[in-house]
Amino acid sequence: MTAHAKLPNPPISDPVSDLPVVPYEKLEEIFEDIRKHPVYDHEIHGCLNCGICTATCPSAQYYDYSPREIVQLLWTENLEGIYDAMQEKIWACAQCYTCAARCPFENSPGGLVMIMREVAIKHELPSVKEVLRPFSRVLLKVVSTGNQLAPNMITKEAFPDWGPNVAKVDAPLMLLRKAIPMPTMHTLDTAWEVNLKTSVELYTIWEATGVLKQLESVDENLFDVVSDVMEEKRDEWEEWLEDNEDEDDD
Amino acid sequence: MSDKPILIVGGGPAGLSAAHAAAASGRKAVIVEKADRLGGAPILQGYAKLVPSHEWAKDAIGGMVARVQANPNVTVLTGAEVQAFDGAPGAFVATLKDGRKLEVDAAILATGFTHFDSLNKPEWGFGTYPDVVTTVQVEQMISSGAGIRCPSDGRVPDRVAILLCVGSRDRQIGREWCSKICCTVSANIAMEIRELSPKTNVYIYYMDIRTFGLLEGDYYWKSQEEAKVKYIKARIAEVTSDGNRLVVKGEDTLVKRPITIPFDMVVHAIGMDPNVDNMTLSAVFGVGLNRYGYIDKATTYAHLAETNRPGVYVCGAATGPETIDDSIAQGQAAALAALTGAGVPMLKAAE
Ligand SMILES: Cc1cc2nc3c(=O)[nH]c(=O)nc-3n(C[C@H](O)[C@H](O)[C@H](O)COP(=O)(O)OP(=O)(O)OC[C@H]3O[C@@H](n4cnc5c(N)ncnc54)[C@H](O)[C@@H]3O)c2cc1C
Ligand code: SF4
Ligand code: SF4
Ligand code: SF4
Repeated sequence: MTAHAKLPNPPISDPVSDLPVVPYEKLEEIFEDIRKHPVYDHEIHGCLNCGICTATCPSAQYYDYSPREIVQLLWTENLEGIYDAMQEKIWACAQCYTCAARCPFENSPGGLVMIMREVAIKHELPSVKEVLRPFSRVLLKVVSTGNQLAPNMITKEAFPDWGPNVAKVDAPLMLLRKAIPMPTMHTLDTAWEVNLKTSVELYTIWEATGVLKQLESVDENLFDVVSDVMEEKRDEWEEWLEDNEDEDDD
Repeated sequence: MSDKPILIVGGGPAGLSAAHAAAASGRKAVIVEKADRLGGAPILQGYAKLVPSHEWAKDAIGGMVARVQANPNVTVLTGAEVQAFDGAPGAFVATLKDGRKLEVDAAILATGFTHFDSLNKPEWGFGTYPDVVTTVQVEQMISSGAGIRCPSDGRVPDRVAILLCVGSRDRQIGREWCSKICCTVSANIAMEIRELSPKTNVYIYYMDIRTFGLLEGDYYWKSQEEAKVKYIKARIAEVTSDGNRLVVKGEDTLVKRPITIPFDMVVHAIGMDPNVDNMTLSAVFGVGLNRYGYIDKATTYAHLAETNRPGVYVCGAATGPETIDDSIAQGQAAALAALTGAGVPMLKAAE
């Protein structure tokens, strides 16, 4: 225990933050949840502090975010720093795993971020709701159909909330897509049309893996909507099964 | 005392030192060297001025070669390799590739290291861009008198970046060791570049600076104070080109931001790999390798040079990254161990 821990009600490290003061025990609990994650030891082995991860990280180019910082905070057990990073920074990671492919120590900063996100959701950190709010539309589509977008849906009109960079979408995406040497254009029509059986299986996975529970703690409204969709699809599936049983009997 | 010679495999600084020591004590030595001449890496690769003496390699190591060649107790076989090694301490028979057989008392492996091949780190641009070179190439530019020039068009570079730890300290390519000498060699090269070409600015990208012991003052400090070499704490992630100049990308870990900077020339401070022959040497001489692939030492303190096979000794960079002066000291230690049959149980019993 550090001397800091003995203070009655230690403030978190950022003196200008108006976030509520977090007791040391809470910080420890959060770190323990990260450290005990089944893949934690697989994602971090030490750190040379070399900066290769941050240099190759696309998010670090645009945000005040650094995978090296994440690794250092965890490896040095900087509990306040970890908590602070979980407020906003961990949500900047694009989960591309370039860092993991390049790290000379074979760490996976992206994998560590994934763990921290899970723990942030488990502890219902306020950041989770704030950060994910603009994404509820995306979440709805992903959770209910397993698919976010078809390529032709990416237009500036459809995504004003993507900021000024959405103009770059003006690139001839349809044309470029035709150059991909495998069939992809069929997804234009089928992106949100999911086979009934697949839908039901998808929902089973969401339930079994705890994704739904996470969704409930992140966005209750969205959870309700998704639950309705799920119920509907499951009923349809049951009906279809019954109908087909009859046919089989014939 | 046996009148059979001591076999020394490899004629670099370590082997030359072992041969000289054995011969100086009145015994015969035979050097079996794979290359067409003696001298090891400093001579074969054309190193320039050495750390820490500032003597030219061709004078310093060349002097060791001449001393051995002039010694009637030393036989030198170049262009030769041992193919089989049988028998026991005091009565070994070494069979060379050309069929010759040598009866020897003991053997010393002074087979050194292999330079890291930068092609194994394609993201750092070697082999793709002609102006990405290695420290060995810069040593050659200096020792040949050609001067510091960009290979692409022969221009004198404005800005040179030296990337440390190329081929060392990197699990992605199975090299978890520090090559020990490249920090100091790089500081040395940086100072030489500044001296030969004062308009060239030199930047060294590092994770840690390991100019150990007295080398700190003469290289790390002096290169900054006198030669104005700049040190930036970053391991470069990739080297590309904007079509005009080279572009290096990294994170300045002290400033904590990603950086993208143009250069005319990028130098890889390449590390010291285990000799590519080590698997063969291990099989021929019956000696073990350590987990990094260098020849394993049986003890750390008792007899510096012992391997796991009695009567076979090892010294220099064959055991791991070593400096020239340490390799020379180890060569003498190996000679002493071979002369006294250190670690040979039979001899102990006879005492
Ligand atoms: C770029 C660079 C610069 C350096 N500069 C310095 C410096 O300034 N100062 C310093 O102290 N150190 C320096 N070093 C380190 C230095 O090169 C080594 O310390 C030194 O060469 C080790 O000597 P050695 O005799 O053990 O091995 P080597 O020099 O590698 O000699 C081994 C010899 O064995 C021969 N051989 C190999 N395999 C066989 C075989 N199977 N059969 C027969 N013969 C064989 C080789 O041909 C070679 O002649 C530098 C290293 C590098 C990479
Ligand atoms: S996985 Fe995240 S941290 Fe790693 S490089 Fe991609 S965006 Fe950066
Ligand atoms: S690349 Fe790996 S070793 Fe280097 S700073 Fe990032 S996590 Fe640490
Ligand atoms: S000596 Fe320096 S450059 Fe060489 S591997 Fe060690 S730290 Fe890296």
